Amino acid sequence: MGNFSLARERIRWLIAVIMVVLMLFAFRLVDIQAVQAQTYSLKAANEMSRTTIMPAARGAITDVNGVEFARSVAAVNVVVDQTLIKDPIKAAEIAAPILQMSPADVQALITGKHLWKMVARDVSPAQWSALTAAFAHYNDGLDRTNLSKKIFGFFAERVYTREYPSGSLIASLIGFVNQEGVGATGLEASKNSIISGVDGKYMYAYGYGAQIPGSQQELITARTGTTIRLSVDRDIQWVASQAILQAVKSAHALSGTVIVMDPKTGEILAHATAPTFDPNNTKNVSLLAMKNPSVQDVYEPGSTGKVMTLAAAIQEGTVTPTSVFTVPYGLKVSTTTFHDHQKHATQRLTTSGILAVSSNTGAIQVGATLKNSVLYDYLRKFGVGSNTGSGLAGESDGVLPAVSTWSGTTAPTVAFGQGYSLTAMQATSIFATIANNGVRVSPTVIAGTSDSNGLFTPAVKRSSVQVVSPETAMKMRLMMESVVSANGTAPEAAIAGYRVAGKTGTAMRVDDTCHCYKGYTASFIGFAPADQPKYVVSVTIQAPQGIHWGGTLGAPVFKKVMSFVLQSRHVAPTYTKVTPYPLTEAQVQKAKN
Amino acid sequence: MEGFDPFLTIAVGLLLIIGTLLVYAGTRSWYASVGLDPQYYVKRHIFNILIGAILAFGTTIIDYRLLRAYTPIVWGLGVLGLIAVLLPGISTEINGAKAWISLPGGFQVQPAELAKISIIIGLSMILSERTHDSNQPTHRDVLQGLLIAAIPIALILLQPDMGTVLIISASVVTIIAVSGASSRWVAGLLIVAVVGGFTAVKVGVVSDYQLKRLQSFVDPTVDPQSSGYQLRQSRITIGSGGIVGKGLFKGPQTNGRFVPEQQTDFIFTVAGEELGFLGSGLILALFFTIFMRGFRIARRSQDIFGRLVATGVIAWFAFQAFENIGMAMGLMPMTGVPLPFMSYGGSSMFANLIGIGLLQNVHARQRG
Repeated sequence: MGNFSLARERIRWLIAVIMVVLMLFAFRLVDIQAVQAQTYSLKAANEMSRTTIMPAARGAITDVNGVEFARSVAAVNVVVDQTLIKDPIKAAEIAAPILQMSPADVQALITGKHLWKMVARDVSPAQWSALTAAFAHYNDGLDRTNLSKKIFGFFAERVYTREYPSGSLIASLIGFVNQEGVGATGLEASKNSIISGVDGKYMYAYGYGAQIPGSQQELITARTGTTIRLSVDRDIQWVASQAILQAVKSAHALSGTVIVMDPKTGEILAHATAPTFDPNNTKNVSLLAMKNPSVQDVYEPGSTGKVMTLAAAIQEGTVTPTSVFTVPYGLKVSTTTFHDHQKHATQRLTTSGILAVSSNTGAIQVGATLKNSVLYDYLRKFGVGSNTGSGLAGESDGVLPAVSTWSGTTAPTVAFGQGYSLTAMQATSIFATIANNGVRVSPTVIAGTSDSNGLFTPAVKRSSVQVVSPETAMKMRLMMESVVSANGTAPEAAIAGYRVAGKTGTAMRVDDTCHCYKGYTASFIGFAPADQPKYVVSVTIQAPQGIHWGGTLGAPVFKKVMSFVLQSRHVAPTYTKVTPYPLTEAQVQKAKN
Repeated sequence: MEGFDPFLTIAVGLLLIIGTLLVYAGTRSWYASVGLDPQYYVKRHIFNILIGAILAFGTTIIDYRLLRAYTPIVWGLGVLGLIAVLLPGISTEINGAKAWISLPGGFQVQPAELAKISIIIGLSMILSERTHDSNQPTHRDVLQGLLIAAIPIALILLQPDMGTVLIISASVVTIIAVSGASSRWVAGLLIVAVVGGFTAVKVGVVSDYQLKRLQSFVDPTVDPQSSGYQLRQSRITIGSGGIVGKGLFKGPQTNGRFVPEQQTDFIFTVAGEELGFLGSGLILALFFTIFMRGFRIARRSQDIFGRLVATGVIAWFAFQAFENIGMAMGLMPMTGVPLPFMSYGGSSMFANLIGIGLLQNVHARQRG
């Protein structure tokens, strides 16, 4: 049958065509999978592999006992690939309550054509689990015909968020980190380079909008930042913080600072400022409140500055603690008549007496026994005009005019503690110098550091400088004990059973807004035990309203804090009776007889 | 009377098994990653195979020569399905084509797949009926046959589904050629097919979506996010498998779903990556076996109808496999047709297995 043979011939043609095509395909397969396999494999690897940053946790900041003031906690940034979201209304409805956002906000963020869009920062890992579980639950419940309504396209970026478990307790010292995880203020800023770790890098295979499970490969291990152990003791900090907050509040003052220092080591045991802020929530905090007043605010020290004048004169031998001066209420020097705080009849006071009652006219006379340049040099040696090296963010040098610019009234002004300015940290350091037998130790808040393996390295010993002799320092301490006596300006600072020395300060304050003298700086700085000082406590209150005496405002805070320090550090009371220096000419004569 | 062709059965069985594994490989990690049952696709795929096997067996029971009596009904049902799919409310649009009818229970039917069988049987019947004493079908027979084929083809063009139109056209030309029609008809139809394809693109019968797919075949950079991307990724995925492959379930490209539709139109890429040249070569060999056994059945068929049905089915399988594999390897334009016996998809699987049933039917009743 012809038809059959024609059909068979055409089938043979068909078979030939099919064999040719199949052979072509076989060649192409060999070409792709054998000849060019390497190239394609490489392309595949390039297409898929992504590298991404593995953020490093910041080191913690702890108190001297390891209690955390600042710590990094694992968190999640929720991001979306908008192109993968098929049903943004439903997705927003599910996600909003978990992310604690409004559905409209979420919907706006997840709708569009962006492959990457931030939806929520610093979400807890628990919230992220809840979110993925909610989507999975919704997807499971979908009718099979609605599979295109499945919700996916939400991704987690691993980050760390900063937590401050103590809240506002030590905020001005520690500071906080900004949204990018970089220290913005305080130690978080000044020590940012060591606290922040080294970010790691890892590679993963990417496909269908997600990491392919099991493809992650670490390239560089993230290194956790260095943990800083402060010399601050949380318990002392708490007492200091409460005391200054209360004092600033009741005095309606602008701000206040309490610093507790170990004069031998320069270590700071507490650093409390008021007002303060919560570093966990910095959205509505003013820049002013974020400032650290202890090192960033400068003020004229007033009477606390007299300590330096007297110490310099005693060291130079121009006066002794019992040298007698005629102390009037007003004293005209050059073009100006200087006055004491309170009107009084002209008295015959010893150097000690001048300090005890905080006489300006007396201090001017003591200062006058020194050449200007000598007084200036002593102020410089005490640290005025250069920052203490505390390492705190934004520390000021203070202001001390060069001696060459001094006019006829500058030296007397400086002698009683005005006409130059310093920070609370510098003032504390001056008193610590007297407490530490004339050796000024650069203050620090850092006891040591722990690396990412937990290896602790104690901080290096602080630099120190001998400012006055131990004998001068001892004489100054004995004189300063009189300040706390019933005859002095700050009997409120006395602590039963302990020898306490200190000095009040009530200085006219330069107001930042008018750059004129307006209001006062009230302060009290003291140490205990006075014969062998272990701790210095300084209290500074800026611009109190109403009563502004350093003795009245500062001394009670000092007493509260120092009492707690002595108790908590187990310093036993001695109940020693001391023979104070005579304060008046009459007392000198009485002692002679 | 002979039984079934064992080689054909074994080759198809192996393709079904490999296809099942590849469907699972292509969907498990994707579904697991979005929190769904990773066996969702493979379970349905196995279910489809079982239904298809029953349909295939059913097809073998009735003597195909009796089937000729039901040809008008088969053809008519096919056309009805194709009309229904175009009606709004009934059809479901996927990837720019109205090709699906949704049924209750989440099932969808693609009438074009089943229409392939209607056309093959209808055309074979017309061309095997001899109204005169001649070995060759007359012009009138050929024209009648073309009309029978043209109606469903036109309906499929309206969806539009260019891939299916091309496959059916190849099958139609093959049946006409093997029926013994004059060489002028064969040559003429081949020319019409080629010219028709070109003009379709030029005049705009083809939708933007299809045009994009065809253009991306020429220039893969036209739309890197869709068609061109798919073609490029497809080659990369196959190439990265190398000689022995990355191992079943272990292909990173597959697990990352770099090639979309990898459980359906691009399933060959899964074979390429995970099973390597050895696996994809085996798939080509199994298809070759099916084609050769099919032609053997056609040659040995007792009558013209059986021969035409067998060659029509083989031409359909062959062209569809070539289109699919060629697309994956970058040798053919992207049209989106499933790979017979392997791709996920119920309608396609049913139609393929019914096709095998027809081949076995013809084989069972051939001369000894």
